[in-house]
Amino acid sequence: MGQSVLEALNVRVVGSGEKILVLAHGFGTDQSAWQRILPFFLRDYRVVLYDLVCAGSVNPDFFDFRRYTSLDAYVDDLLHILDALGVERCTHVGHSVSAMIGILAAIKRPQLFTKLILIGASPRFLNDKDYHGGFEHGEIEEVFSAMEANYEAWVNGFAPLAVGADVPAAVREFSRTLFNMRPDITLFVSRTVFNSDLRGVLGLVKVPCSIIQTAKDVSVPASVATYLKNHLGGQSTVHMLNVEGHLPHLSAPNLLAQELRRALSR
Amino acid sequence: MPTDTTPTINDLLPDAILSNIIAAVSDVRSRNSAALVCNKWLLLERATRTTLTLRGNIRDLFMVPTCFRSITHLDLSLLSPWGHSLTSSSSSSSSITDQAIIAHCLRNAFPAVTSLTLYARNSSTLQLLAPQWPNLKQVKLVRWHQRPQLASTGEELEILFQECRSLSSLDLSAFYCWTDDILVALESKPLVSSSLTCLNLLNPSFSEGFKSDEIKEITKACPNLKEFRAACVFDPRLLGYVGDEALVSIAMNCPKLAILHLADTLALSNLRGDPEREGFTQEDARVSVPTLIEVFSGLPLLEELVLDVCNNVRNSGLALEVLNSKCPKLRHVKLGQFHGISMPVELGLDGVALCERLESLSIRNVGDLNDMGLIAIARGCCRLTKFEIQGCKKITMRGMRTFVQILQTTLVEVKISCCKNLGAASSLKALEPIQNRIQRLHIDCVWDCAEDLQDLDAIEGNFDLSKLDRGEILNQSVGHTKYFGTNDCDYGGNSKRCKYSADLNCSYTGVGVNDNGFDNRCKYSYELNSSYAGVDDNDNRCMYSYDLNSSYARVDVNDNGYDNGNGSGEKTWNRLQSLSLWIGVGQLLTPLTSAGLENCPNLEEIRIKVEGDCREMSKPSEREFGLSILGNYLSLSKMHLDCGDIIGYAHTAPSGQMDLSLWERFYLFGVGDLSLAELDYWLPQDRDVNQRSLSLPAAGLLQECFTLRKLFIHGTAHEHFMMFLLRIPGLRDVQLREDYYPAPENDMSTEMRADSCSRFEAAVNRRQIPD
Repeated sequence: MGQSVLEALNVRVVGSGEKILVLAHGFGTDQSAWQRILPFFLRDYRVVLYDLVCAGSVNPDFFDFRRYTSLDAYVDDLLHILDALGVERCTHVGHSVSAMIGILAAIKRPQLFTKLILIGASPRFLNDKDYHGGFEHGEIEEVFSAMEANYEAWVNGFAPLAVGADVPAAVREFSRTLFNMRPDITLFVSRTVFNSDLRGVLGLVKVPCSIIQTAKDVSVPASVATYLKNHLGGQSTVHMLNVEGHLPHLSAPNLLAQELRRALSR
Repeated sequence: MPTDTTPTINDLLPDAILSNIIAAVSDVRSRNSAALVCNKWLLLERATRTTLTLRGNIRDLFMVPTCFRSITHLDLSLLSPWGHSLTSSSSSSSSITDQAIIAHCLRNAFPAVTSLTLYARNSSTLQLLAPQWPNLKQVKLVRWHQRPQLASTGEELEILFQECRSLSSLDLSAFYCWTDDILVALESKPLVSSSLTCLNLLNPSFSEGFKSDEIKEITKACPNLKEFRAACVFDPRLLGYVGDEALVSIAMNCPKLAILHLADTLALSNLRGDPEREGFTQEDARVSVPTLIEVFSGLPLLEELVLDVCNNVRNSGLALEVLNSKCPKLRHVKLGQFHGISMPVELGLDGVALCERLESLSIRNVGDLNDMGLIAIARGCCRLTKFEIQGCKKITMRGMRTFVQILQTTLVEVKISCCKNLGAASSLKALEPIQNRIQRLHIDCVWDCAEDLQDLDAIEGNFDLSKLDRGEILNQSVGHTKYFGTNDCDYGGNSKRCKYSADLNCSYTGVGVNDNGFDNRCKYSYELNSSYAGVDDNDNRCMYSYDLNSSYARVDVNDNGYDNGNGSGEKTWNRLQSLSLWIGVGQLLTPLTSAGLENCPNLEEIRIKVEGDCREMSKPSEREFGLSILGNYLSLSKMHLDCGDIIGYAHTAPSGQMDLSLWERFYLFGVGDLSLAELDYWLPQDRDVNQRSLSLPAAGLLQECFTLRKLFIHGTAHEHFMMFLLRIPGLRDVQLREDYYPAPENDMSTEMRADSCSRFEAAVNRRQIPD
């Protein structure tokens, strides 16, 4: 693995500080999503950036449909990268699915992480008896069928015009970003994500966590942040951002950067 | 197939003639076809081909064709992956020796190069290539990426000057660097600088432009310049602004100038101004009339003058008269924010209207130019083939129409932009007198006045327009009757006179309904006695005689009668080849044909520029922008769709708004209905993330252009979106170009990496080529 994983996942290390900060992007984006956040941390940190294997910027040949069946494979990728870089301690900033990956990685190798910062994180997207994840089972089927239709369109070469405005409002934001990846990979990954349920393991996290949540995020309701805070095993805090959307690093980079700084210094 | 007995073209034509014929073919594809005819043709074609743009992948450069021995102009700025440095390109394994081999290959393949265009991402590219052709005369450097950290200011250009000592022309208009770099390099190599004859520093990437001292120093270093173009600071509020002193120094230092082009950096940004804005800016530029006179007097060889200032230059008429008398070769003029350029008193001519030798004139933001001034320009500058007018609030359709009518025998290219009273329909109306002549046209798609005009058409329907078909009729503006009050008035410019007289006998009945409901039925008639005798160069006498027996009722301009060119029949723009349109974001294109561009049988190329901030806008009412309406133009094969000045949200639109992917869908919808062969598409941007990335809907819509051969996307894209495009059977040439400032550094914009790009290109090249 070693060098090859660094190359395959476009790993970059920038900045002149000593402490190490990992910025991990979420669904449908790639490391360029951190572009506006990055300058705030270059002076004080060495920032590690990489692309998830499902990102549009990674050679799709690297996506092994047999291997990436659960988030664990992504966790392994992250740990491989950190090991290959010789990182001993770091702070992990993860957005959406990467926040989950961060949680799992911190359970596996607690000594590697000084802190987790979770942006738009959700341990479970589906609603349950006493848990509000934001998506009803039926809704998620809608997402999947929209994606499947999109996949069909992609395979058959029809213009995938169904994307966007015609998708139900609740899933629009989510699907919009998802479609930035190759449709078959998207479908596969989103099944993985929606099937995963981290609620049971949250207690195993002993690393302190900061949860950053936007005021209105269609894919993660505010109650999820509270849920995370209450169930995470380590010390955790919630920071509310007074902006809309699931991608605050794109929509409100300055605000998020300030909040990140605050969370990091705590 | 010719049989053995029939003489072929090869037998009939001597080689020398054939060679000349082939040499005269400029179209690359025609040349390629010619080269395929037979061996002899191949040799002749290769021997006469002088210009070549390499488009292959950098890593394949060692396979560069060696059959083009006569190439003198080589363009290496568009190699794939676009914007990558020649030296650091191929994978990490490329060593210094590899690079040296590449340079050597290029040198061997193209031994005769004297003119080079190069994407110089970093100084090592120059270090590598400049020594290969020490006799380079013309160099154009291109770089959209940010200037790298250099060991010393001006290092890159110094390398170039060091190696290419016979350099005569240097073009840095698309080279992202600092203004300091240029000055330092020029001063450090005085021999090269002093032999430079062309220097192009018209670079929009400079945040401010060249300052007064820099202009002085540059012109001092390059005394033999014949062409000098530079982006300057004219704003007097900024430190080191260019004013009188700097202008005089240009004339003093470079007396041989034939082309002088100075533009304010603001003017270079190419954004449309606000048509509602006052023509005068708050600050005046520190450019005085006596200085201009001094400058013009010092540049007797001037052929082309551009002074595109963004602050007022007032009362410039006199200076322009001197310009005309001191610069007999002057043919092209462009002025920005110059006021008083044409202020005719009675029927006299003044200012720019006296520059009768002008062939092209472009004016922007002339605060005090009215219809009479404009008409005076037409009367004076009677050789104009190209005319551009921007940001002139007072010009009306009538003035413009009269202008066009007077120049109808010469004018072939017109741009009307940002003039408050000249929306699409009225611009087209004004151009009717030359609708069988005009070849290139720009208008703004502002539809607001279209309806008024259509109403008017209905009113006009019952006119007898038979007489008006003759293009000789002067349709004078009603709004300025006082100027025509005198009968049989003789007038002339100081040297130039023409004789106009027209016979016009018509009566208009205009019916207008006022807001207050009272029927403003006005009847007026006027006789305009004039016959257009043409412009006689030998007899420099011109005489206007007007006989206006008219009684005008107070009429609203829009209710006024005016002639309708070809009547209400179909409007055909026979020779229109190239159409350029500006349109505000969210506006629809669909009214274009009804505004007057119904039939353009020879329109080949269209440029559409969309501009605006869609973050403030809610969803447009229609699903599509209306590209399919261009299907009416049957010869259309090339399109530039420039959405680069649309600003919106990438990914994260607040609720109720559309993000850029949906805007892209809006704009590209229907693009597949046009049988385009070439498409240039500038992606909209999200300034916050410097992201211009092709969205899924856009990729889907682009793949429906089945006839495409060339596709250039100015932005980035994900690999799997690019793979959509493989469905276009004839697609040969695809490139992602991030040619906007600042181009994203590769490591930050990660959508399309060099590797993805190479994989895509390999996929394109693997396919069978149908032709």
